[in-house]
Amino acid sequence: MRSSVARSTGLAELTAVVALVVATTGFSPAASAGDPQRGLEKSQVCQSCHGRTGAESLMPSYPILAGQHADYLEHALKSYRSGARSNAIMAGFAANLSDQDIADLAAWYSRQDGLSDLSMD
Amino acid sequence: MRGVCIAIAILALMPLNALGQGDPARGKKIAYTCTGCHGIPFYNNAYPTYTVPKIGGQHQEYLISALKAYRAGERQHATMRAQASTLSDQDILDVTAYFVSFNEEDS
Repeated sequence: MRSSVARSTGLAELTAVVALVVATTGFSPAASAGDPQRGLEKSQVCQSCHGRTGAESLMPSYPILAGQHADYLEHALKSYRSGARSNAIMAGFAANLSDQDIADLAAWYSRQDGLSDLSMD
Repeated sequence: MRGVCIAIAILALMPLNALGQGDPARGKKIAYTCTGCHGIPFYNNAYPTYTVPKIGGQHQEYLISALKAYRAGERQHATMRAQASTLSDQDILDVTAYFVSFNEEDS
């Protein structure tokens, strides 16, 4: 009984340490090689609808991008580019982006303050 | 007539969530299943492999269109299609109202 309590306490501590490392270093298991500064430079056209940080969308039907996971943003842009996800506006923009452009844009928007995970409290 | 036109124009310009649609308290109950993936930081989608997107604090209108697109099969994702197919229009309004309120509760 005592050992199982000790084990679960150890696990809780380990989880806390991992959470701290993730929170302080911005480490992501699927970190991409994007450059956020280049992403900002390339995001001029995105900004007109999504805002500079991606938290100030022009319309409520346009998603907030700020704080979204970089690899999900990359997945979304590549899906628009391939046509797997169909959206007339986004297809036009994504068609002109290279993989590096997409990685850079995702790096920029993912580092901004905005979206959060859900949690049951 | 002019007044009617102006009223219609104002209604057309109102964002969906400004109409007060959706019950976040009921939505929270529906959202229990969603947190199994969207509530775990850096949880990975099985295939294709990418981190499950954050939806807390997302715009309600965008979330509604996303869930309806999954439900209709317009957006391809097996798990999300299965989840969304269980939701009525009212469920979608309620659960997205909860997602929107999430950032306010959190901060």
